[in-house]
Amino acid sequence: MAVDLGRIQKELKEIERDTASGVTVHLKNNSLQHLTGYVPGPKDTPYEGGLFAVEINLDNGYPFVPPKMRFINKVWHPNVSSQSGAICLDILKDQWSPALTLKTALLSLQALLSSPQPDDPQDAVVAKQYISDHETYKKTAKYWTEAFANPNATAPEEKIAKIVEMGFDRAAAISALQEAGGDENAALEKLLG
Amino acid sequence: MASTEPAAEPPVAGSEAPDRPSDEAILQQQNQIRAEQAKVSEYVGQEENLGALKAEYENGNQNFVQKIGKLEERYRTFRRTRGDGNCFFRGFIYAYLEGLLQNSDLAEANRFMSVVQSWKAKLVEGGFQELVFEDAMELLLEQVKEVTKASDQFAQEKLLVNMRDDMVSNMIVMFLRLVTSCEVQRREDFFFPFILGMYDEPPATVELFCQRHVEPMGEESDHLHIVAVTEALQIPVRVVYLDSSGLPAGGGGGGAGALEASCHDFVPDSCPPGTAPRVHLLYRPGHYDILYAKSG
Repeated sequence: MAVDLGRIQKELKEIERDTASGVTVHLKNNSLQHLTGYVPGPKDTPYEGGLFAVEINLDNGYPFVPPKMRFINKVWHPNVSSQSGAICLDILKDQWSPALTLKTALLSLQALLSSPQPDDPQDAVVAKQYISDHETYKKTAKYWTEAFANPNATAPEEKIAKIVEMGFDRAAAISALQEAGGDENAALEKLLG
Repeated sequence: MASTEPAAEPPVAGSEAPDRPSDEAILQQQNQIRAEQAKVSEYVGQEENLGALKAEYENGNQNFVQKIGKLEERYRTFRRTRGDGNCFFRGFIYAYLEGLLQNSDLAEANRFMSVVQSWKAKLVEGGFQELVFEDAMELLLEQVKEVTKASDQFAQEKLLVNMRDDMVSNMIVMFLRLVTSCEVQRREDFFFPFILGMYDEPPATVELFCQRHVEPMGEESDHLHIVAVTEALQIPVRVVYLDSSGLPAGGGGGGAGALEASCHDFVPDSCPPGTAPRVHLLYRPGHYDILYAKSG
């Protein structure tokens, strides 16, 4: 089955237009089926301040089959594997419907960060800690956010500012820097395509 | 039962919650099941004699054999659809389009196209994004235009080819699912009693029901789906229920004691009672196929 590239293109344009949602999606290697999404950590949670990168792979059956998504950054969360970034979320499995989009899926991930479901865990260790030692869970999640999902670690403010000065969007500058592992020139090359 | 859901999830090796297979593993299994079904049957099969259906039960439950024998008085042939959970929607739209084609019914085609177009605004109002359904809607309208152009063998073949195409066929099924969902949510007061008490946690709402059981591809259709879609598109449908039950069908009053499959007509409010169905479907528990009535 040929993938519905038209639909994916429309979705990407819509995400770009809707800056209010906070989530972004960028092409990886110029393929419409391999994308990287970015989800800001929700306020008043241990994930606040983090920018979470999500690997998105679209099968040929998309949008009739769900997008494959996993966190690229390490995340300490009951419904995310602390090893692989695999995500336990119903809409990424049997509850997916073609009425949903990449944007709604990423927003659902953001909602999942806000409201963990420890009764339906992906990572049993984290889930156990979430229930039995909530304070330690919060501290660990916060520490992991700062250590692994800190937009400034690979994208420090001065580097972002330089790229933004050249006329690029701030979110695009951050993600390009992150993808380039903090290498400003490589990030610029990516942006210039 | 024709189901796309694996009955049991396979165990997965790994250090994490051991009873939880990864998304990848689940998807892989689903894809495998789909691929196996695709090998066995097309989305829409060829027209077959009812004898082929009877043969399935010859060595099994004789109630089926009796009922099919009785069906042969009214029906000529049937056409199988793939048991992928979308069989109702796929069978319904295929039979409808085929009927338009065979009857060269231009007036009905125009009525249908304007109803379909009227759903654009309703879907947007219902919170569905245009980018999600606009291509699918166009594809459905194109099929209608196509079948009203000519009613020859070639046109018939072309419809079959299109409805066997992954993209065209699934897009149209998706569009019908969204219209059904939207209809159910627009008439919440009417449909809520259907789902009342279906689940407690979280409490059943029509919105949740639609998200779980109408919009996802492969979710099987029930009475509620049929009521909603026939009403939304104003297409009367007859469903013949073929099961193993041994009680003679009530109200038929035909041959004394002869077993007969019961049927139910779904007649939209806008059609006068007794309007002849445009689509006949055969229901066997968990699955719908298409039936062809004898003419006259």
